[in-house]
Amino acid sequence: MGDLRLEGLALGYGPEAVVRDLTLSVADGEMMSLLGPSGAGKTTILRAVAGFIRPRAGRVLIDGRPVDDLPPERRAVVMVFQKALLFPFLDVAGNIGFGLKMQGLDPGEIRRRVDAIMDLTGLAGLGRRKVHEISGGQQQRAALARALVLQPAVLLLDEPLSSLDANLRQQMREFIQQIQAETRVTTLFVTHDQGEALMMSHRVSLLLGGRLRQTGTPRQLFYRPADPDVARFFGGENFFDGRMENGLLKTAFGDFPAPDTENNGRRPLATIRPEDVRLAPEAGNGSVMGEVTQTRFEGMATRIWIRCDGGLVVALTPESRWTAGQRLAVVFPPDKVRVFPA
Amino acid sequence: MVSGQIGGRDARTRAARWDLCLAGLLAPALAVMLLLFGGGLTLGGLQALGYLPGAGMTELTAAHFTRVLQDPDFLTSLGLTLHIALTSTVIAAVVSVALALALTRWSIRSRLVHFVLQVPLTVPHLVVAVSMLFLLAPAGLAARLAAALGLIASPGEFPLLVNDRGSIGILLVYIWKEIPFIALMVLSVLQNAGGELIEVGRTLKAGPWQRFRFILLPVIAPSLAAACLIVFAFTFGAFEVPWLLGRTYPMSLPVRGYKSYADVDLAARPEGIAIGLIIALVVMGAVALAVWLNRLAGSREAIR
Ligand SMILES: Nc1ncnc2c1ncn2[C@@H]1O[C@H](COP(=O)(O)OP(=O)(O)O)[C@@H](O)[C@H]1O
Ligand SMILES: [Mg+2]
Repeated sequence: MGDLRLEGLALGYGPEAVVRDLTLSVADGEMMSLLGPSGAGKTTILRAVAGFIRPRAGRVLIDGRPVDDLPPERRAVVMVFQKALLFPFLDVAGNIGFGLKMQGLDPGEIRRRVDAIMDLTGLAGLGRRKVHEISGGQQQRAALARALVLQPAVLLLDEPLSSLDANLRQQMREFIQQIQAETRVTTLFVTHDQGEALMMSHRVSLLLGGRLRQTGTPRQLFYRPADPDVARFFGGENFFDGRMENGLLKTAFGDFPAPDTENNGRRPLATIRPEDVRLAPEAGNGSVMGEVTQTRFEGMATRIWIRCDGGLVVALTPESRWTAGQRLAVVFPPDKVRVFPA
Repeated sequence: MVSGQIGGRDARTRAARWDLCLAGLLAPALAVMLLLFGGGLTLGGLQALGYLPGAGMTELTAAHFTRVLQDPDFLTSLGLTLHIALTSTVIAAVVSVALALALTRWSIRSRLVHFVLQVPLTVPHLVVAVSMLFLLAPAGLAARLAAALGLIASPGEFPLLVNDRGSIGILLVYIWKEIPFIALMVLSVLQNAGGELIEVGRTLKAGPWQRFRFILLPVIAPSLAAACLIVFAFTFGAFEVPWLLGRTYPMSLPVRGYKSYADVDLAARPEGIAIGLIIALVVMGAVALAVWLNRLAGSREAIR
């Protein structure tokens, strides 16, 4: 049981604010990713929620109650750090049971709960190991177990997978997702990896330069970015403008429906993802002609730069038959074009 | 995984080769030290066993050791020495931990503080002892100052703090000297590891006292214990401070050993050396333990 609400937070270390005007709600049982490039202020936000940093403005509410006057040890949130930070003087079980011991539970009860959480996190049988006698992935799981065993209202995870190698990372993503689904603990998960955020969370909140730019489901952020910066963060490369007429955006690449864009005289921007651009050898219905200027083989797909009258277009295609200098037809399927609200 | 093992083995051979290299470079110095130190100990051992041809004693016997150990005065001296070493070490340790915590707590990294902290490290014990004598003696600076301030009626009323029953003068010298040593050791551990683990403790709902008891103390324990053992070993075996600031009876073990050794009666010499060897044994034991604890502290840091 726990929901988290951040209202108008301003956070910083020196004279300059690092995070400004941040408002965000995480619902009870929800897994929310806080996504952003390195230095965007993600850790700063988690530290403010955990109570290590006092906001300069705004409030943090847990279950509807402001917690700004409570120190970290009196808040119903537990933070898991980027490094596992296990206590080197305790064994694995001692680490996981640490918080329960601090609450004064009796040893039998502690053992029962620690065993249960070790089963859940796949650490069964490792309780007596020293912390340097388990692998990096197991250390991260122990750090997670140490937090989960306290049944926090809100769990804060600060890039807990960033120190793991690619394979282990993928396993741990699925693992954390599964644990979250089973325990239904309200989770704010910080990552700089868009794939990780999209695959793991119910909702994603994108932070750029200390400001929240868009919050929504993974599909909303990916397919309906709020502005060109958000689109760029998720790999958007094609941006073009046009003129609004009767709910249609008229552009050099065709006319596209834009129901939620107002006809206010400005020239709205539109975008299409590189993998949604269709290519054909011959001109056809709704196509524009262009010339390939550059290609780059990327394994599963080939990235192609095409000069058209309306500007440079980047396409990502599974076909590898295109070469520089070739002329081809480019089609923007109308349902794949995203017109930004002006 | 595999590459990790290879890397590990590689690193280990490299480390071994490096050790060997180092040993080669140090060999001449080590040889001299072994000869002087080991030779001295052996000669001393022989003399303590009663082999003193110059004085006509050639029979090897453990009698001197037995005599030393059975002498009730030896136990009194041992008691006094332990009192001096343990009391000064414990007080210095408590003050040092408090000091180190305060410095990290208020994140004081000022150069001045660290400089001031290092000053006592550079002043020889003898100098401190002599200063203490000037300061605390019955007609010393402190006594006159107290009298001038009207705290006491005359300098003669000043409490006896040197050559006193409680060895307070000796303790003060040692405590003043050892606090920076222990505090700097503890400080370096705290600055390396303390902060992050304390934050973990806070988010796991440990209160201030619990964080001290269950995180800080275990974190600093190996280094603190190692520092204390070294300090204990030193104060247990050092001669000059109790010699200057102690009473004529009972004497601390090192003073007693020296007195017997330097006695005009050559027959007292084996006893003096026997005491010296007993001290050496205690000191080496403490240092060995300290080295082991220091390794433990080091291996812990490697985990993080
Ligand atoms: N302790 C600190 N003191 C001063 N500036 C800091 C501190 N921690 C982080 N910053 C600055 O705040 C900004 C955001 O940092 P952080 O929250 O760690 O970003 P992220 O976790 O998204 O990578 C960065 O510009 C960083 O340099
Ligand atoms: Mg960070």
